Amino acid sequence: MHDHGSNDGERYRDSNLHKVLLIGNPNVGKSALFGLLTGRYVTVSNYPGTTVEVTYGNAVLNRTRTLVIDTPGVNSLVPMSEDEKVTRDILLTDRAGVVVQVADTKNLRRGLTITLQLAEMEVPFILDLNMDDEAKSRGILIDQEKLSQLLGIEVVKTVAIRRSGIDKLLKGIQHPRPSSITVRYDDAIEGGIRDITALLPEANISRRALALMILAGDESLKGWLHANLQDHVIEDIEKIRQDVQSRFNNSLGYLINQRRLKKADEVLSQVLSLHEAGKGSAIAFHLGKWSMHPVYGLPILLAVLYLVYQFVGVLGAGDAVGFLEETVFGEYLNPWAAKIVHFIVPVPFLQELLIGDYGIITMALTYAIAIVLPIVGFFFIAFGILEDSGYLPRLAVMVNRIFKIMGLNGKAVLPMVLGLGCDTMATLTTRILETKKERILVTLLLALGVPCSAQLGVILGMVAGLSGLATTIWIGSIVLVMLLVGYLAAKIVPGEPSDFVLELPPIRVPQLMNILVKTAARVQWYLKEAVPLFILGTFILFVGHKVGALEYIQKLTDPLVVGVLGLPSKAAEAFVIGFLRRDYGAAGLFMLAKNGLLDPIQIVVSLVVITLFVPCIANFFMMVKERGLKTALTMVAFIFPFAFAVGGVLNWILRTLNVTL
Amino acid sequence: MTERKRIDIVEGKAGHPALCVLPEIEKEDELFEIIWTLREDGKLTIDQIIQSCSLPECENILQDLSKKGWINIKGQAVELLPKGEKRARELVRRHRLSLRMFYDLFALDGAEAEACKFEHILSPEVTDSVCTLLGHPPNSPDGKPIPRGECCSMFKQEMKPLVGPLADIMPGDQAKIVFITPGSHSRLDRLSAMGVVPGSVVKLHQKKPSYVIQLGETMIAVDKDITKEIFVKKV
Repeated sequence: MHDHGSNDGERYRDSNLHKVLLIGNPNVGKSALFGLLTGRYVTVSNYPGTTVEVTYGNAVLNRTRTLVIDTPGVNSLVPMSEDEKVTRDILLTDRAGVVVQVADTKNLRRGLTITLQLAEMEVPFILDLNMDDEAKSRGILIDQEKLSQLLGIEVVKTVAIRRSGIDKLLKGIQHPRPSSITVRYDDAIEGGIRDITALLPEANISRRALALMILAGDESLKGWLHANLQDHVIEDIEKIRQDVQSRFNNSLGYLINQRRLKKADEVLSQVLSLHEAGKGSAIAFHLGKWSMHPVYGLPILLAVLYLVYQFVGVLGAGDAVGFLEETVFGEYLNPWAAKIVHFIVPVPFLQELLIGDYGIITMALTYAIAIVLPIVGFFFIAFGILEDSGYLPRLAVMVNRIFKIMGLNGKAVLPMVLGLGCDTMATLTTRILETKKERILVTLLLALGVPCSAQLGVILGMVAGLSGLATTIWIGSIVLVMLLVGYLAAKIVPGEPSDFVLELPPIRVPQLMNILVKTAARVQWYLKEAVPLFILGTFILFVGHKVGALEYIQKLTDPLVVGVLGLPSKAAEAFVIGFLRRDYGAAGLFMLAKNGLLDPIQIVVSLVVITLFVPCIANFFMMVKERGLKTALTMVAFIFPFAFAVGGVLNWILRTLNVTL
Repeated sequence: MTERKRIDIVEGKAGHPALCVLPEIEKEDELFEIIWTLREDGKLTIDQIIQSCSLPECENILQDLSKKGWINIKGQAVELLPKGEKRARELVRRHRLSLRMFYDLFALDGAEAEACKFEHILSPEVTDSVCTLLGHPPNSPDGKPIPRGECCSMFKQEMKPLVGPLADIMPGDQAKIVFITPGSHSRLDRLSAMGVVPGSVVKLHQKKPSYVIQLGETMIAVDKDITKEIFVKKV
């Protein structure tokens, strides 16, 4: 949800700066360490897959200007998803700097399989055993010196979120070495490695490591191979691979992993000692267990939703908005602004532009700062707590079966829930999904029916004044539409669904500082991204109003808005600005409802339409970037009429059945 | 087992319906199986045997078996003599257990062809291990009874197999992974990257609404289908 500055890459790639590259399994604290080293904020959360892009940051480490690079977590350097590929590619193509492998001390076995791969690559690196506190509290002790001796590299211990051990890490960075540890594979595989290395060009990583990737059947390496080798050589290599593979029933990738894990176990048995576990983690452990229990899980989910609703919908959208909008803006800021503008700007036209019905201060800023900002702020706090607690992946366990209906699995809940924060960033996060089919489906569902925090907040504010039945109808319609569209799209979009394999992080007590910093970063991002668009939207309305286009559009859309949806003519304005941002459209409806211009049925219908409405401009661009222009346009072309159709049907049903809300 | 040492193992890939190229001893085996099966169906006559048999030299072998004292032929009637009875029983047991194994564990098509190779190379010890591994199954996949072995009566009280799918252990139980029979290569690659390989100890946390397993300090949520393919031994 925070812009990770993906374009920085090009700028930094060839610079001669000293480089430090952070690499490791998912959810081991790479981003926390990155923040600590650079002072630059990147989202830190308690679930695997928070970082899906490479992030660059400048720092002065050991009195040297250094470029620190944060990467998405990997379970293997033979990538299984797009975010893992990003990390492998940077090792492959970037000029080597110092690699810092960050490992979760309590999960060292999996960390060591990465260590062994880095050793095979022959890159100079050091190993950082992070989260040492958690390991200790579970009674896991690692003999750091012995490990350093076995691996032949520097090993340091840190607790990144507490800033402990950083000085030792900085000292360690000065002495990176290629690891001396080696893994010997089955003779047939070793033979294949020998044959393939003979054909490979010089690269940033050792030929042996490349050969192993090829043997493991790394599809994502094809691009690199084609760029560096002639076609007939690639064919020869593939022949060698098939020849080796034909001697085994299991995939070579599996055999290679198995051998590495065996080596990791050998190392581990010499450095790991178990002691009695502390009590601290027991409560968190049980909470984690209950949150995905088939019986207790549901009340916990409902309780979480209720608390979020109370916090965001009632406290944020009710009290905070009431205070800011009516008191701060209504009684002070807007009247003051009116006086000042009248005094400073004597031109009536400009006066109207600033403080008129469609004024930049009276409409754009009031909407952005007084209505949406407090809601978004409260939502970000609630969301940050949820993210850091480790609850979200457990939610995936709860909903896995429902998601199967839509051709997805529980893992897709992560981008979907992130979409409740911001659909744009969530669309980027679809990279953690394994198949193209899943990425397309989730992108569509995000664009179609997942309201972002800003929009959701405004909607919660409107719903707060309605009956429970109205809320149920709104949620029910959206969920039903998503299930239906997901189900049908899963039939149309080619490809296979993937397995549900998701790592569950431990339940942790959220760190107040991280929540505050994260919320601040997101609010800042919101202001930077949304406010200019709010101003632009208002300006379009202002011009439209001045030249009479607005009335024309209203007249043009009356049959649709008034006839089919049964909404007042003025609601067309909300939909027009909804093209820029859905939350801005929702804010327009919020004002209509607040002024008593909408009856309950109209509120529900308009909410359903604006929830399903076309994605905002930023999200559209992200869809184009991640899925391609054609796919993005197809999705929008479907969503736009579809949203109105659903609204029309809902209106017809509610009116025909004469439902009183 | 001197007889078996002469047998050449037919090369063929799993799932590939390789023909049973039959040396002399295996031709005899085939006839024993036919006799056993026909007797089960109550249709045991010389004519039926010849009709069911794919070998051209069928009649000669029957005569040969009779001469060696395996079977007794009287007109159309055929009778297994005690040592023939024992041999047929063991053969059928091996064949049907092999079928069961290929069908249950590896979900292979063309299991019949595989089983037909396998039955000739299983030693009595291995046969009993396979039987135990599969939980002393009473029937082959086509519903025919599997002749009981010694292992079956010994374990009558304890019918639980030593090795079974992870999906079948109880939540809270710990087990060691013995082998994995993955539906796809990529699935196995992914699981192994997270540490799920033979030898790892797993704990099953829950089965609903999704399966959750723990390896060391790593908790992983997985589909039920996957846990059916991970075979474990309780520890």
